[in-house]
Amino acid sequence: MEHAVAALGELFEPMRLLALFTGMLAGMVFGMMPGLGGVAAVSIMLPFIFLFDELGGLAMLLGAISVVYTSDTITSVLLGAPGSPASAPTAIEGHAMAKRGEASTALGVGFLASMLGGVVGALTLALAIPVAGPIVLALGTPELLMFAVVGLYFASSMVGKDLAVGILAGCMGLLLGAVGPAPAAANYRFTFGQAYLLDGLSLTIVALGLFAIAEVIGMLAGGGGISTSRQVVSSWGPGLAIFWKNKWVALRGALIGTFGGFVPAVGANASTWVAYGDSMRSAKDKSRFGKGEIRGIAAAEGANNATVISDLVPTLLFSVPGGPAAAIFLGALYSFGFYPGPRMVSEQPTLLYLIVWSVALASVVGAGICFAISPLMARLTRIRFALIAAPLLLVMVAGAYQSTQTFGDVAVLLALGMVGWYMKHAGWPRAPVLVGFVLAGPMEQYFWLTNQIYGWSWLLRPGVLVVASFIVLPIVWRFIVAMRRKYAPSAEMEAVLLSGDEDDPGTGPTVSRLVLAVLSMVFFAYAAFESIGFRPNARLLPLLAIVPGVALSIFVLLREFRLLWQQRAAFRFDARDEYPVAALLLLYGLGIFLLGLDLATLAFLIVVLTRFAQMRLAYAAIYTLILIAGVNGMFKLMRLSPPEGALIAGFTFT
Amino acid sequence: MIRHTGWGTCSVAAAVVAGLFGTPAQADFSGQTIEVIVPFAPGGATDVAARFLEKYFERHLEGNPNVEVINREGGGSILGAKWFEANAEPDGLRLLFTTSSTANPYVLGQPEVEYDLAAYRVAYGLPFGSVTYVSAATGIKTVEDFVKADGLIYGGIGAAASDLPTLLSFELFDVDVNSALGFTGRGPIRLSFERGETNVDFQFTPVYLTQVADTVAAGDAVALMSGGYMAADGNMTERDPAVPDLPSVHEAYTDLHGEAPSGVEWDAYNAMAALTLAFGLTAYLHPDTPDDIITLYADAVERINADPEFQEEAKDVVGGYPLTLPAYAEGPLRAALQPSDEVREYLIKLLSEKYDVQF
Repeated sequence: MEHAVAALGELFEPMRLLALFTGMLAGMVFGMMPGLGGVAAVSIMLPFIFLFDELGGLAMLLGAISVVYTSDTITSVLLGAPGSPASAPTAIEGHAMAKRGEASTALGVGFLASMLGGVVGALTLALAIPVAGPIVLALGTPELLMFAVVGLYFASSMVGKDLAVGILAGCMGLLLGAVGPAPAAANYRFTFGQAYLLDGLSLTIVALGLFAIAEVIGMLAGGGGISTSRQVVSSWGPGLAIFWKNKWVALRGALIGTFGGFVPAVGANASTWVAYGDSMRSAKDKSRFGKGEIRGIAAAEGANNATVISDLVPTLLFSVPGGPAAAIFLGALYSFGFYPGPRMVSEQPTLLYLIVWSVALASVVGAGICFAISPLMARLTRIRFALIAAPLLLVMVAGAYQSTQTFGDVAVLLALGMVGWYMKHAGWPRAPVLVGFVLAGPMEQYFWLTNQIYGWSWLLRPGVLVVASFIVLPIVWRFIVAMRRKYAPSAEMEAVLLSGDEDDPGTGPTVSRLVLAVLSMVFFAYAAFESIGFRPNARLLPLLAIVPGVALSIFVLLREFRLLWQQRAAFRFDARDEYPVAALLLLYGLGIFLLGLDLATLAFLIVVLTRFAQMRLAYAAIYTLILIAGVNGMFKLMRLSPPEGALIAGFTFT
Repeated sequence: MIRHTGWGTCSVAAAVVAGLFGTPAQADFSGQTIEVIVPFAPGGATDVAARFLEKYFERHLEGNPNVEVINREGGGSILGAKWFEANAEPDGLRLLFTTSSTANPYVLGQPEVEYDLAAYRVAYGLPFGSVTYVSAATGIKTVEDFVKADGLIYGGIGAAASDLPTLLSFELFDVDVNSALGFTGRGPIRLSFERGETNVDFQFTPVYLTQVADTVAAGDAVALMSGGYMAADGNMTERDPAVPDLPSVHEAYTDLHGEAPSGVEWDAYNAMAALTLAFGLTAYLHPDTPDDIITLYADAVERINADPEFQEEAKDVVGGYPLTLPAYAEGPLRAALQPSDEVREYLIKLLSEKYDVQF
């Protein structure tokens, strides 16, 4: 206890508070930028931490870590583009609410849930540090495998009303997750001879591509403001009241998130989806999920913030970072000469409590600041789409590009962007793709490790049985309830039937549905062909996706053809007005490849701003130049070099 | 723009310039910025070491240049190396600071490799050490017990990764060890060892000293040997100065068998241990970098090694080894990067048959 008080005193040194708040502001800005999450914020802060003393420097990083998942709510709700991958559920539910004019409720609940998550995470950190050692050690490889399986099972509640395409989407995600090195066989899969793919796809890019690009295309093509009705963020009253009603959902989310953080490599993304799935399972009326259900926001925001903070538990106890941001924090601890480990708990109690206080303070103050700036941000949504979409797209390209700084980042972003765009219009759920993608890695890794270490005896380990009960108990419970009600239709089926995706595409045959059906057929057929050459140990996980994938693709394709045959008259060329924008976007990608970022952006933005935002050429040119200067400044700050054009480079040297 | 030239044009140009005018002598780096390219994510061991060295090179390089660490991760370090190949110039201002993750694919001739590591010059190196230890629950007390033991499980990242020397040492001693490969890092492996899932492990010396030594002192684990330290003749035969009480692989083998190890098993171990440990971290320069620039780095290395603050801090951060001078590094490093065909074939055969690595 006296350590806790002493640590608070240490933190309240003016310079350290300054460091904490500087970090917080940076974290908030990065949280709001789609694609630039905690990792980007922390890595940008890294060079600056040495301006302060060691406790101040660490406080700065903690400030950034703690608020990223609070401020990303703003982007997710107002723009529908996830501010960071782990807030994709918030983007789905929150943006649907914003479209109904309930932005302030969604934001209020999101902020409060984030704050709760942060505080629960900090509390856990304080309580867990003395006792968590045995818990972390009790979670063996088989238990971690079981967690991944539970996550995938929870994801099944997100498949939406069309079971076939929902599962197909999940299989696609698993397959995307299989790109790159196979953990158990030193076999590279689906890399097409590209060094870029040797590490697999980046989560940031997959999330941005699937969710955000489609939004930007829609925004550019749509004209007008972001919401059809006015986005009023004025009264926080309803938000507070509704948060209070959903406090237990948020708390459950926070606890799930905390638990996810304990386990290295589970990360905020996986535990957010698990919490979201859990909130869906525990809801009485599941039909509103995907259409703006506040419970989804409360659970997801509670979870993601709690996870990044409890990621610090394994980091501090065992020097094993719980997540990517925690990994950078660990690096900073090392460079200040702190060596986390069981000994640190007894030797450096003040440092530990300083970490706890920093995180707690940043979470609370960060939520407060978010409340304060949201009305300002909401006003932005009333100006023309294209004016916001332009910088948003630039930030996304920059955010994607910082993954490896090769053109592959931009190419994958745009390719997945096109897929996500078609999925949005065809009414295919995108969440299962992301969940499959996130869980493919841990599932495969832990399965093979478990198999190599334990054979099959792991199935009987008590820990595994406890974790498995998360799946089995609800099923048994439902079964009992169903038996009692006998002929009443089961709640489960109803949920599956009713929970739709964010957009309701209607039922008739459309170009998007046809294109996607053909695309997924090609995708799985090719994967099946390539996987023939894999080593047995590298083939299992892809097959888990390919076998159902091929079967379902055939089914969906036949179904689309039949639908087309039956309703020829109703066949629509949907989203026709968005095609020029999509084509322009692809051209932009090609332009970046050939001419480099600056020239391509110049051409792209001037066309977009004059054509879609009806800006006058002179204004458009000025705005474009400001944006290009801004993005170059950002690259400078991140110590990256912007994409260079292949053509230009070629000319200079010959 | 001219910075982003390819090797071809550049080396021709350099040769022409050098031929016509002679290379202008560069007295110092004053007012310059030196970029240290780390082909790994921020926060990893390589990044930490690069950032740790930053201030010492700023202090001791002639002209006190600004040193900046830049992360270009991806492709298991191959993307960063590829970028360096395309963007470095023989002016000493851009370094590639990397590990055996870049060197092993080069030695094994993997198809994605598009850089000629053996042609590069070396600015400085920082050795690593490693310690192999077993769980006390195995009942193993000595190297002799270890060689006879069964039921041993080793956790690793991948056979062609930093696990390679340790796996080769198992071959050298002919120990029966099952490996569970596919962990994401040495940290999770250490946790798995502490949970009792695996019972043989190795850690690099900084981690060993701060995280494992206590467990060994408490009698829960038994340290068997170190990976060794490079002798003046370029072979990994000496004791590791960071763990002076432990025999090296070479010494442990000699003690056990009464004769020094030899044959392709030892040659393969020696080469890969040199790459992974002795040249664990190496700062490479453009192949045409002139000698006077190499001398600037050599002088800085000597001054850094003599800097008492470095000696003090290096103990905690990087295991306390002195930096390697370019003159000592280049010869043995090139030899290790270009092993004999016999060693290369042995490695490829072992990796593809025993560990299912695809070439």
